[in-house]
Amino acid sequence: MRYQTLTRALLIPVVGALTMTACANSDSNNTASGNDCVTGADVAAVAASDGGGAATTAPTTGTTGTNTGKTYTIAFLGALSGNNPQLGINEANAVQLAVKQANDAGTLPFTLKYTSSDDEGAPDKAPAAAQKLIDDPSVVAVVGPPFSGTTKAAEPALSDAGLLSVSPSATNPALTSQGFKTFFRVVPPDDAQGQEAAALLQKYAKSVYLVDDTSEYGKGLADVIQKELGSTSIKVTREGVSDKTQDYSSIAQKVKNANVDAMYYAGYYQGASLFAKSLKAVGYSCLAMSDDGTNDDQFIKGAQDSAEGWLFTCPCADARVDPKAKSFLDAYKTEFNADPGTYSPESYDAANAIIAAMSTISGDVTRDKVVEAVKKVDYAGLTKQVKFEPNGEVSGKTIFVYGVDNGKRVLKGTTTDLLK
Amino acid sequence: MNTNGTVRRRTGLWHNEDARRFVSLVATGVLIALLTGADGSQDDSLLAFRESLLSIRLPICVGLMVLLWAVFYVGQRRRISLSPAVTGAAFRQRLRQMPVVRWLLIVAVVGAALVLPPFLSGFWQTVLVNQVGIYVLLAAGLNVVVGWAGLLDLGYIAFFAIGAYTTAYFTGTLPIAPPFVVNPFVAIIFAVLACLVAGVLLGTPTLRLRGDYLAVVTLGFGEIVRIVALNGDDFTNGPRGATNIPHPSITLPFGVHFTVPGLDWKVDWDGSLRWGIDSLPYWYLLLVLTALVVFLLSRLEHSRVGRAWTAIREDEVAAQANGVRTVRLKLLAFAIGASTSGVAGVIYASKVGFISPDNFILQYSIFVLAYVIFGGMGSLTGVVLGAALLTALPEFLRDYVAAADRPTYLGAVLVLMMIFRPAGLVPAGRRKAEITAQQASDPPGSSVQQADQPEAGQPEAGPTASPAGAVGGGQ
Amino acid sequence: MSLQEFCQFTILGLTRGSLYALIALGYTLVYGVLQLINFAHSEVFMMGGFGGMFVIRALLGPSPGMQSFALATFYLVLGMLAGAAAGGLTAWVLERVAYRPLRKRNAPKLAFLISAIGASVFLFNFAGKLWSRQPQFVPQFFEVNKPIFDIFGATMTLIQVVIVGSAFAMMVFLDRLVATTKLGQGIRAVAQDAPTAALMGVDIDKTISRTFVLGGLLGGAAGFMFGMFSLVQYNMGFLPGIKAFAAAVLGGIGNIRGAMVGGLLLGLVENWSAIFIDTKWSDVIAFVALVLVLMFRPTGILGERLGRSA
Repeated sequence: MRYQTLTRALLIPVVGALTMTACANSDSNNTASGNDCVTGADVAAVAASDGGGAATTAPTTGTTGTNTGKTYTIAFLGALSGNNPQLGINEANAVQLAVKQANDAGTLPFTLKYTSSDDEGAPDKAPAAAQKLIDDPSVVAVVGPPFSGTTKAAEPALSDAGLLSVSPSATNPALTSQGFKTFFRVVPPDDAQGQEAAALLQKYAKSVYLVDDTSEYGKGLADVIQKELGSTSIKVTREGVSDKTQDYSSIAQKVKNANVDAMYYAGYYQGASLFAKSLKAVGYSCLAMSDDGTNDDQFIKGAQDSAEGWLFTCPCADARVDPKAKSFLDAYKTEFNADPGTYSPESYDAANAIIAAMSTISGDVTRDKVVEAVKKVDYAGLTKQVKFEPNGEVSGKTIFVYGVDNGKRVLKGTTTDLLK
Repeated sequence: MNTNGTVRRRTGLWHNEDARRFVSLVATGVLIALLTGADGSQDDSLLAFRESLLSIRLPICVGLMVLLWAVFYVGQRRRISLSPAVTGAAFRQRLRQMPVVRWLLIVAVVGAALVLPPFLSGFWQTVLVNQVGIYVLLAAGLNVVVGWAGLLDLGYIAFFAIGAYTTAYFTGTLPIAPPFVVNPFVAIIFAVLACLVAGVLLGTPTLRLRGDYLAVVTLGFGEIVRIVALNGDDFTNGPRGATNIPHPSITLPFGVHFTVPGLDWKVDWDGSLRWGIDSLPYWYLLLVLTALVVFLLSRLEHSRVGRAWTAIREDEVAAQANGVRTVRLKLLAFAIGASTSGVAGVIYASKVGFISPDNFILQYSIFVLAYVIFGGMGSLTGVVLGAALLTALPEFLRDYVAAADRPTYLGAVLVLMMIFRPAGLVPAGRRKAEITAQQASDPPGSSVQQADQPEAGQPEAGPTASPAGAVGGGQ
Repeated sequence: MSLQEFCQFTILGLTRGSLYALIALGYTLVYGVLQLINFAHSEVFMMGGFGGMFVIRALLGPSPGMQSFALATFYLVLGMLAGAAAGGLTAWVLERVAYRPLRKRNAPKLAFLISAIGASVFLFNFAGKLWSRQPQFVPQFFEVNKPIFDIFGATMTLIQVVIVGSAFAMMVFLDRLVATTKLGQGIRAVAQDAPTAALMGVDIDKTISRTFVLGGLLGGAAGFMFGMFSLVQYNMGFLPGIKAFAAAVLGGIGNIRGAMVGGLLLGLVENWSAIFIDTKWSDVIAFVALVLVLMFRPTGILGERLGRSA
């Protein structure tokens, strides 16, 4: 009895829908072709030569070759496990590599050691993870944390202990105005990237669908872009979709239905690659852009052919793309049997800037001296000239644009070039 | 032990207890080899297996397990089984007969908690406060809901969130300005109130649901609270969370001023207590709070209310028939659990100074529940111990295993614990008393150790005498 | 909102919902016989995803290109079988390791829950260690986005047809199996009254074990389909697992048809809500709907009890 009524109840809408396929709406598929929007492939590829700053790959500022026999530790603090460990692993590896290379070069008056402390990417674990490093008297400098949330949680303790931390990827603008005395970062804050991304969108589109991943990073960036575009005539539709989502079909459908010229996804590569697939599935073919969190080969690996034509804004020069950073790429690959990922070069720069600063210190290296030395450092890194403003922001704020061409990430140029 | 053998005469290697144990131990050996071995790769799904299983690691791990089996085997053949005298049950019973020992133990633990922390490293002090202390409070609160009233709550962390966000609001660190800014100490009052209200709001419509329906509704509530915090940018600052939540401070109405004549020793304290970035003062604050909560709760456990909760847990219909106001009492349990969680939220927020929705994810609700059941549902001592041990475990492992593998060990510990001590670390006295009382009416011979004797099994699960229990008993 | 839009989101909802329903069946079957939430079922689903992906990868390589219709169907069925086998095996091991010893010791009900949670935490982290924590993907061996037919202008693509179709087939199969076969009879008997069933000659241990495997087969197949449609990753089971659990409760836990209805409904509600409001709220909408339904029907839409379902 019950079985039959139920099956019927379930089947009726399905069967009904199937039988009515004849009423197919003929003009439903015109949006993709009818809309004359710019795609990623149309974005002018400028000669990539002026990519990064002057790139030298090894710290060369070492003063003397006489090793005093002292050992100091540079630590990585960040997520090595938990829900989003890949950024942390990219960065930790790069720090490890920088330390190894500095030791191998043999120009430093001391020996460096590497250690790491895992905060699982969770703000509640970050203070203890930071404390672990603070307790170790040999740790004189920290690279990390990668995320803004963990930075906010860990930084009071680090700041209180006078332990330097240079983040390769915490981009929340507010971080440098919280009164953290020992916080520096080698990436420009979100507002720099957001402004440039907005300018690009303004150039190529009249209507924009702005999707963030509701993470601190994605939302922060999308907020900046929305604010920038708000003062223009461009129509912006804003939507959020949780970064833990595994099914992007409904949001992709909404983007498609909105009939926009461009879509910007603010978030990380994992969500972006699924989103890209769903966008392709619904037939969205206009400009798709994303940010530095997506600018990773894992994105292409996941999205496969759906990745084609995506553009990324990134305050980073990518070691895989920049020909000058080849030696870094090779060394990384030999060491870890993997390609450097997002923020590996930044992290490498951060570690090398710290090492460069340490080599200028006369006498014993102490935490205080390292902080003072880093304030004065001027180091030619892979991604930029590392030089800090008094509040801890890095001076160079160049934003690069990358794109996916034939399944490879290529540098399209700086935003300044593209906006010309 | 071997219930199968007595009822059904099944021969064959697989049905031989020793052979079976051998196979499972060898399998465990392989697992250990893999677990301690190399990490896998995205492109080569067999890499980890090759690296771990084709190395010396495999024979070592399996060899150790075979050795373990041999010890068991020989032990059993010689009938050197553990007598009840040395097993936990008998030990505890003897403890109960010697209250002095028990008190000594308690004094030793409390003494250690008071005296030891200053000698620990800063890392362990931070862990003691941020993980251990906070989760002990949370677990003590959840114990009221799950252990005593028998309500399965999978969204408990939501109240922790409400407590923390209330603190952020009343210390003026959220985008919306509060009517007045207060010290986090005063915020405790508001947090408790907010959690009480939230507990009652959640409880009123849902408490008539039973068992797993309640579980899924509370789970939904937990997620709703988190997502609202995440998406309610204008009120909660969204994923950016609240930063710079101040530390509490208090000025006592009296100071301590005295000089010791003859010695150059002067005490001049105006009575103000300030907490800061240092973890140690927070530890003592948490210790006082936990002691207070544990004291109040233990009073409650043996009160009329506590007995009513037990009645509800064991058989709600019967309790109602006997005049227990079930809805009101369940609400009370919910509210008490919620407010304890709220207090923990206040302390956490002011200790770390930063909260964001990432602090209140579903996994944490599940973990708190695991701590409660691991420790021994319904037993305050057990719950406190369980939470302390399990929160400290991953931090212990930090120095010994790869960071990413720590949760794997936690999972294994949970499973093993439940297999070998299903009632938890320190099983609840009351439940035990109930079972012993029931067993007293059984024929003699059904002994103390009900865990190993399905024949004497009275399902401990409460109202829904699960067929699982019945199955075991029926064998 | 146009009719086309509504149809489009309905299709998306059906796709997602039928996956939820398949997973929810695993929860409901186990709940039926043991009255326990098998929290580790999400890991059964995850292992199914890995199992199916490995087989496809081993046979076709990482980028196989499009196969002919017959071959694609063959590989599809093979992948599903592999996923189902991996899921079934995982479920069997789970029952052996994390459930049976507790049953033998007559553990309290919540001990099973923690044992399952522990097993779940162990399994997914272990899988992450063995096969890396990066997202992975089932190689595409057929044109997944090929439009199959239109409903009021809303397109249903091949992968959607595959998922919805095979999910429905499996659900009908399970329903018939439980209603008509000897095994099904045993399951229902254990669900209704285990001691009596034992007296009637039902081997309780075997029945429980088979129930786990049955749920595992469906969950594993769902894992493979999910992998084709989304991704395969060590922690992929958590969210669908929670959703499917909610779906099972929504329909009336322990009730097989309830799980199907609950799963589909949850998928539909999530997607329909996306038409009107920001997708970041769709989980909230789903849970609010769940709470509302349970407030008016405290034992789910179709009520409890596997035993009475046929």
